[in-house]
Amino acid sequence: MTAAAWLAAALAVAALALAAAWVRARRAATRARNRLAAASAELERLEHAFARFAPMELVERVIASGVPTHGERKEVTVLFADLVGFTPLSERVDPSLLVEIVNGYFERMSAAIAAHQGHLSTLIGDGILALFGALETNPWQTDDAVRAALAMRAALAEYNAELAERGLPKLQLSVGLHRGGGIAGLVGSPELMQFTVVGTVVSLAARVQALTREHGVDVLLTGEVKRALDPRFQLRALPPTALKGFRDSVEIWALLEQTS
Amino acid sequence: MSLDAVAWDACVLEPQPVDPAMARYVRRELGTLPSSIAYFAPVPWVVRSMTAMSGLSAPRGHVPIQLVEVASLVVSQDNSCRYCYGIQRLMLRVFGVSEQHIQKLEQGLLDAEIDPYAKSGLDFARRLSRAAPIVSGADAAALRNTGWTNPAIAELAFQAAYDVFMNRLMTAAAIPYAPVERLGDMFGLRWIAPILRFSMQRKIRRGLARAVPLTPEQAAGPFAYVVRALGQVPAARALRETLDAAFASPVLSRRAKALIFAVIARGLDCPQANAEAARLAADAGISGAQLESILQHLGSPDLDPFEAALLPFARGTIRGRPQQIQQRTRPLRDALSPAQVVEAIGLAALANTVGRLGVVTQLG
Repeated sequence: MTAAAWLAAALAVAALALAAAWVRARRAATRARNRLAAASAELERLEHAFARFAPMELVERVIASGVPTHGERKEVTVLFADLVGFTPLSERVDPSLLVEIVNGYFERMSAAIAAHQGHLSTLIGDGILALFGALETNPWQTDDAVRAALAMRAALAEYNAELAERGLPKLQLSVGLHRGGGIAGLVGSPELMQFTVVGTVVSLAARVQALTREHGVDVLLTGEVKRALDPRFQLRALPPTALKGFRDSVEIWALLEQTS
Repeated sequence: MSLDAVAWDACVLEPQPVDPAMARYVRRELGTLPSSIAYFAPVPWVVRSMTAMSGLSAPRGHVPIQLVEVASLVVSQDNSCRYCYGIQRLMLRVFGVSEQHIQKLEQGLLDAEIDPYAKSGLDFARRLSRAAPIVSGADAAALRNTGWTNPAIAELAFQAAYDVFMNRLMTAAAIPYAPVERLGDMFGLRWIAPILRFSMQRKIRRGLARAVPLTPEQAAGPFAYVVRALGQVPAARALRETLDAAFASPVLSRRAKALIFAVIARGLDCPQANAEAARLAADAGISGAQLESILQHLGSPDLDPFEAALLPFARGTIRGRPQQIQQRTRPLRDALSPAQVVEAIGLAALANTVGRLGVVTQLG
């Protein structure tokens, strides 16, 4: 074999080796790109999932620089909702059917809250804690919260009609509303955090909601809500009530069916 | 965030024939007649302002053009405006940005790849658009720390506010996005992009060379404090002309216009815009006490049925997802004529623009 032939053979081998290396590198790059795309999609999915529980801005801040350790003082209107007679219902109905009924309820209630600029903060059993004015300045937060309560009432009436058609038991709503100052921020442990408001504004709304059964109404609101509320909403005064944990008795009002 | 899942109602407006002179103006300035123009044709100032405030007609000379387009994509995506997002994807492809880079932008994964100057600019544009709370002098100071000059900040703020204007127009009217959504993927764009880019860059260079700054007297009129603070940039003249045309238009009363601006200023919590809207309301015969009573609950026996329909609509455009905004626009058709609906949408978009621009007065 001549030197030229050896050289040609060596070049061919080198070219083959280079081609093989190029193919390997290309495959590795494709795999890396696919992994990156999958990771991006997963990150986007997670961001969306988180955004249901906390404001997008907060989610972005958490992703960029970790969990903020301080909250912000805000004037908020709190809506606390619960289902009356849920425990007996849960004992009567098959668990899988119960989950379906409750999910349908939450879906309709959260839509009513979101349509009136509210933020669904927490689901506690069958209870809902919704905040108005916690995420951004909202000069109409109290009107929005009361409109949301009316929308929840209407949505539940429609849902009950659907349940009745299927021979399922009806649900009964109970809502308490209060307005006041609180600290808004991410609260919880490193394992479980949620965006919420901390302060007596929340506990008072919950206590007022618990009074609905006693007064035979579905929506009750405090004097602080009434003073900030559009006077065109029709309310009925109820006797001031002493509440556990609160020194002064609380003015309460029932929300009637119509706004004028 | 992908916009595929964003619900978008049927269009609220009917397309109308565009006045030939206006069509020529739009083609001359933008190089094309966008499909959205026909929907706003009944109110000439709306069509003119869409064009006149754009970066082609009022060029941004202090911010790199590619960064302007990226900021527009980021704002349009954040506002979930499917129409504007489609246009911005096309513009980025024309300016040579790869599909891969656009996808990373969409997914917010560019932090490690972009320089602090661009990153701070994009953050600022997004915050200005969200207005939760409205951006302030402190936000501008943060930009200066990464090398932004005051004229560049003013232009970036204007660009983001103009994007809000376009997003609100397209979203409130639910303009069909199908004709533009995949324009960035059209066959052959790679080959014609350099020609389009050259032509646009030449237009921008010529526009900057020909730009004549406003004199302080020419800046006078509604929201003069914003126009003056924008200073020497070409956008100042475009904004002045837009505001003047909007307030001179005979379609809605001055009183209705002042109320729309007042509601949006109150919702944005901008002290300067609040004060200016109160002044405009006073000029239109609404006393301070009357205005306060109207704004407190967005209703009053003093309002006529037109105005009573306009206020909840105006409030709905401040923030919110497209479907929520669109659901508030639809009832306007029962109370207003088609031209009045177009003008109401235009005014709400403009009020959302100037209400977010108070930051330019705090640049020092």
